[in-house]
Amino acid sequence: MDGTLVGKRLIGTQAPVTIGWDNIQKVEGGLAKRLFFTHFQPAVLVGMVLFWYYAPNSIAKASTALWISIGFRGVLFVLEWVNPRYASWQLTWKECVTDLFYVGLGYTLMRYIDMYIGAGAVIEYVQHHFHFGKFGWFLGLPILVQAFLISFIFDFGQYWMHRGMHNWYPLWLPHSVHHYITQLNVNKGAVGNPLELFLIGLGVGGFFDFVPRAFLLAGAIGMAISSYQHINVRFNTPRWWRYLFNTVEHHSVHHSRDFEASRSNFCNTYIFIDRIFGTCVDGEAELLGMEGGRRMTIREQMTFPYAQAYLSIRSKFKKPVVDQPVPQAQP
Amino acid sequence: LNLRFIDWIWRVRGSIFLAPGIAERDALDRLDGLFQEYGTTYTRDKTRLDFRKKSPAAQDKMSVFNRGALYLETSDGTKMLRYDLVSNALLLCFLAPLLFFGFGQFFEFTMRHQDASQKPVAAQTQGKDQSASASKKPADAKDVKAVTNAKAEAKSEDKAKDDKPAVVAMNPIDKFLGAPKPPDDKKDDSKPAEKHKKLSPTTAYVFAGIFFFLYIVGRILEPFLVRRLFSRALGDLAASGVIAPDMARPHAAS
Repeated sequence: MDGTLVGKRLIGTQAPVTIGWDNIQKVEGGLAKRLFFTHFQPAVLVGMVLFWYYAPNSIAKASTALWISIGFRGVLFVLEWVNPRYASWQLTWKECVTDLFYVGLGYTLMRYIDMYIGAGAVIEYVQHHFHFGKFGWFLGLPILVQAFLISFIFDFGQYWMHRGMHNWYPLWLPHSVHHYITQLNVNKGAVGNPLELFLIGLGVGGFFDFVPRAFLLAGAIGMAISSYQHINVRFNTPRWWRYLFNTVEHHSVHHSRDFEASRSNFCNTYIFIDRIFGTCVDGEAELLGMEGGRRMTIREQMTFPYAQAYLSIRSKFKKPVVDQPVPQAQP
Repeated sequence: LNLRFIDWIWRVRGSIFLAPGIAERDALDRLDGLFQEYGTTYTRDKTRLDFRKKSPAAQDKMSVFNRGALYLETSDGTKMLRYDLVSNALLLCFLAPLLFFGFGQFFEFTMRHQDASQKPVAAQTQGKDQSASASKKPADAKDVKAVTNAKAEAKSEDKAKDDKPAVVAMNPIDKFLGAPKPPDDKKDDSKPAEKHKKLSPTTAYVFAGIFFFLYIVGRILEPFLVRRLFSRALGDLAASGVIAPDMARPHAAS
């Protein structure tokens, strides 16, 4: 494969990757369908912002956010069924069960661990140990600005953590498991080794004080933008949206079987961070995964980073085999 | 260990009548294409096909099965294709509710343990309210220690409250746009127990229920899909679409 030159990088030499928005397939069908799949994403974002901005305090609670998140996930499930991007990504019973296992781990065991050693717990410990409170710099700002700052600070940290994972072998090992997924759908964001999910969730936002409503707004903005990155739905995403925000197209390039393409689009929400640092590639890919699309079992996903780390360390410290002179046969 | 009474959990068995007069080789030839998939190996003789799958692709139509056997049999002059398939996915989905139920129990245990360890602290805090009277009438050494602890704790709590920024005025833009006023933070401070680290077991129980439901769906859906897959592959070799009822043949697949 020849690949396509993007900046100084040749993308798509190992697996097909479509480069450029004009080359990406559009939503086909009647006017209503095309309008719906063009304006759905912005409409949900605006709706979420308005709801959380004006909801009375009795409704603006974390439990409401949880129910909205579950409902929204349900809607996305239906959209995947109505207008799938690729037939090869369509959900099967086995994929659904496997993905939900990871979602379940995320909502239970990972949250439990996170309570004790997660970013929040570490920040709380640091603040308590050094006797300083939260930085209240942002409290006087408009709520929407606070909400943007919360999500931006988290996404900026996540960008560098994610980029580090693709550039430093010890961090790559836990993250590599997530790159063995061979299709994208609504729950695929949860699939990965628990160590990676823990690392990617680290952030410094806990050092800053924001009003509670700003946190809820930030969560809603995150949900209304980044939920689409692992989803099998074809949208006619507006030009301004794909310039600012991460999309499934961007993320499919990141998950491509092409090595060079996979080293792009690291952000979770704001693709303009990738644009600023020169790692953004606009396009899409259907063939995803590693090792030619080998699908990992749950057991392998749980053990792979540690097994590989052990093998790497062993090979590093293994005594080199000294070539012994071969005794010559005597005539 | 005889698993014949419980192996319906992870095994799918069935049979399809074949049209009379067809060659056995033809039937297996038709099915052969289903096993030309990534990660699938199989052996075949005249009347039997055994397969194994390792890391099958997500869209492999038989990816839910790890191994199995398809064999042709003649009974009372009627030829039929029997199959016996083993699925680790079905077994794990069956066991998943137990895992999440276990998580729920563990979280409940943790909550009880934390509540128990919080009670003495609460008692000390109550002592704080009575510290004035306690200072006038010192009781035994234990009480004095509790009161001292409570005083120290109250002092540190007060300090923490002092450290907290005062109620922040709403930004004029938010006022102009009509956003609701933020709730009074002091109300939250009066409930220290809620701020304590706890994870509700309900979520774990909900996931246990979800996996139980998914198992039932899978146990019905996957046998239906695989039977349809075989019938379609056989095409006109299947006897007018007539499908034989499920006839158990345990231990046909090793």
